[in-house]
Amino acid sequence: MKASIEVTQLEKIRDDFHLGPININIEPGIVTALVGNNGAGKSTLIKTIMNLVKPSSGDIRILGSYVEETQDWQKEIAYLPQNKLGYDPFNGNQLKELIASLYPNWDDKLFNRMVKELDVNLRKNFKSLSPGMQQKLLLSLTIPRNTPILILDEPTSHIDIVSKSILLDLLAEWMEHDDRTLILATHQVEDIRKLADMVAIMKDGDLLAHTDKDSLTQSYTQYWMVDPLPSDSLPGEVKRKGSKSIVTENEVQLEQYLSQHQLNWLNKEQLSLEDTISLMLTI
Amino acid sequence: MELPIKLSEQSREPIYHQIEHQIKALIASGQLETGTPLPSIRALSKDLEVSVITTRRAYQNLEYEGFIKTLQGKGTFVANIHSSLKREIKEDTVVRALKTAIETAYQHNYSKTEINKLFNAILNDQEGRL
Repeated sequence: MKASIEVTQLEKIRDDFHLGPININIEPGIVTALVGNNGAGKSTLIKTIMNLVKPSSGDIRILGSYVEETQDWQKEIAYLPQNKLGYDPFNGNQLKELIASLYPNWDDKLFNRMVKELDVNLRKNFKSLSPGMQQKLLLSLTIPRNTPILILDEPTSHIDIVSKSILLDLLAEWMEHDDRTLILATHQVEDIRKLADMVAIMKDGDLLAHTDKDSLTQSYTQYWMVDPLPSDSLPGEVKRKGSKSIVTENEVQLEQYLSQHQLNWLNKEQLSLEDTISLMLTI
Repeated sequence: MELPIKLSEQSREPIYHQIEHQIKALIASGQLETGTPLPSIRALSKDLEVSVITTRRAYQNLEYEGFIKTLQGKGTFVANIHSSLKREIKEDTVVRALKTAIETAYQHNYSKTEINKLFNAILNDQEGRL
């Protein structure tokens, strides 16, 4: 299938920061979670995709169009940034009228449903809404645009537990339509567990991994030993947790070694998604 | 609709295989009758917290083997399965569970005779309760 977004040899160089070179293809029908520490370059990557930041080098294509050459792609993509500027003097009703007129596929039914389910106040000025309420309003103003591509930067930040779960259901339903593409930049493990298919991990401006969620959770295995382990590095070792516990990226080789050296283990377990991602970001 | 599927991350069996086997078992045991609608790939993926790539693979295999049918625009449904195939799968499900139990016993250094004795004791105990 043709990629929705193709990023080729993308680099952005600033005094204090170097993004890339990044190569990544985002496929339709797939939810991609973009994860990484603060300052890893997630938002810069997204802004470059949206042509809001000019790359130092490299190419970005959205549904086949180069973002720097045309504007065709702009109506194909909806983006919810982290910084919300320019909304302050308007209330939800006014913002809706403004935005709905810009998007030919605007889904008023979905908007009304979101406003009702998320309990969004449309009459108060944006400025006087709480951060959580602002976020819920902005999501209600973004998802119903029904563009083929949707990019949400930290969609569940500030949002209460119930609304978060409603939102994840809504997004899963939104993805039921064939060939839609969703990218979430997120710090919330729950978003990744429930919604993501692929995970792209960024660290210090580089793309560390881009892989499907289920193979990611098979990356590392932790073993709990009967007796303390020898201090030399063992096959596939990535981490020790005390003297009797080890994390490996190579089960087969480690188990061979352990049996050769008559080292018995009590238990082994695959690292959770959360632990796997944290480990990848720290080693 | 939520399916009573439980995945084991610790199992060596690939996740798509686990999904496939458990749906087959639900169909064979009659818990999912012919014509029952199945959740969409996206909905099941969300419930099971796996990628749609994995769920799609399981559904494709089930469809290929004739357990489920996808009707364009309508969704996926349990297909009509021959009763001999249902029996086969039921037996396979039980055999797999027993094998796991036997493996556990061997890991704890039980002998064949001891396993037999335990098995019969549990069986009689269960019968007494029913």
